[in-house]
Amino acid sequence: MSSTSQKHKEFVAEPMGEKPVMALAGIGEVLGKRLAEKGFDKAYVVLGQFLVLKKDEELFRDWLKDTCGANAKQQGDCYGCLKEWCDAFL
Amino acid sequence: MSSLSSKSAQEISDLLDEYGIKHGPVVDSTRSLYEKKLKEAMAKGKRASSKPSSDRTYYREEEEEVTYVYRTPVRSDGAGDSGSYMSSRPGWTEREYEHETSYSSYSPLRSRSEYSRGRNYVDEPRMYDTPSTYRNSYLKSTPMKSDQDAPKAPKSSRLIPLWVQFVFFLAVAVFLYLVFSSMETNESLQGIE
Repeated sequence: MSSTSQKHKEFVAEPMGEKPVMALAGIGEVLGKRLAEKGFDKAYVVLGQFLVLKKDEELFRDWLKDTCGANAKQQGDCYGCLKEWCDAFL
Repeated sequence: MSSLSSKSAQEISDLLDEYGIKHGPVVDSTRSLYEKKLKEAMAKGKRASSKPSSDRTYYREEEEEVTYVYRTPVRSDGAGDSGSYMSSRPGWTEREYEHETSYSSYSPLRSRSEYSRGRNYVDEPRMYDTPSTYRNSYLKSTPMKSDQDAPKAPKSSRLIPLWVQFVFFLAVAVFLYLVFSSMETNESLQGIE
């Protein structure tokens, strides 16, 4: 199992509330801006998308790639972060 | 072919099912993703089967897990169906059948074959209830393997053949024995005892 980043740990430690989309692991400034432009300005909106895609890894990764151009690592980080958050809080 | 974007959400959903693409609800935010996936699928020329749901939930595996391990004698009374095999091939047929189904019954879906390959010489048959699919798969594989009375079955598609596993195990055992036997204990303990 690969180690998780600090961002990941912080994100999955508590309910996301109104955290911005850049709080997600794998989503930095550039990607965050692109997502916000498409309407995904808060982490919970991306969570919504994640859930609508039935938490499926492949679908979510594809969607992330299409929407903001995330690379494989970023996709994986974001997916892992959201999945773990859901396992803990959903 | 009409363009995908003019189709209704339900049609998109149906198309995704036809191509066997796993998907969630087709809503605004997911639609473009699914349209893209459908385009790719059509371009690849995937078989667009009209089956509504994939039948991946079958538990049978067709020719993979025929195990010829000679196991403990079968308590054959429970498996009524094995009676039909008895007429053709007594003895080992039953054993294998019981053995086969015991794996099928308690191992999870996909890894079942791996369990069977790796551990079929360890566990004992326990289960008596067998769904018909197991029977079918077994029936298919039975006629092909006629003379195999020996515990070794190299014809089945294992990752590592059973005999190799046996040989390896024996080699390790022999090796350990040699190591242990060549270790010299201090028989003449000098001053210690």
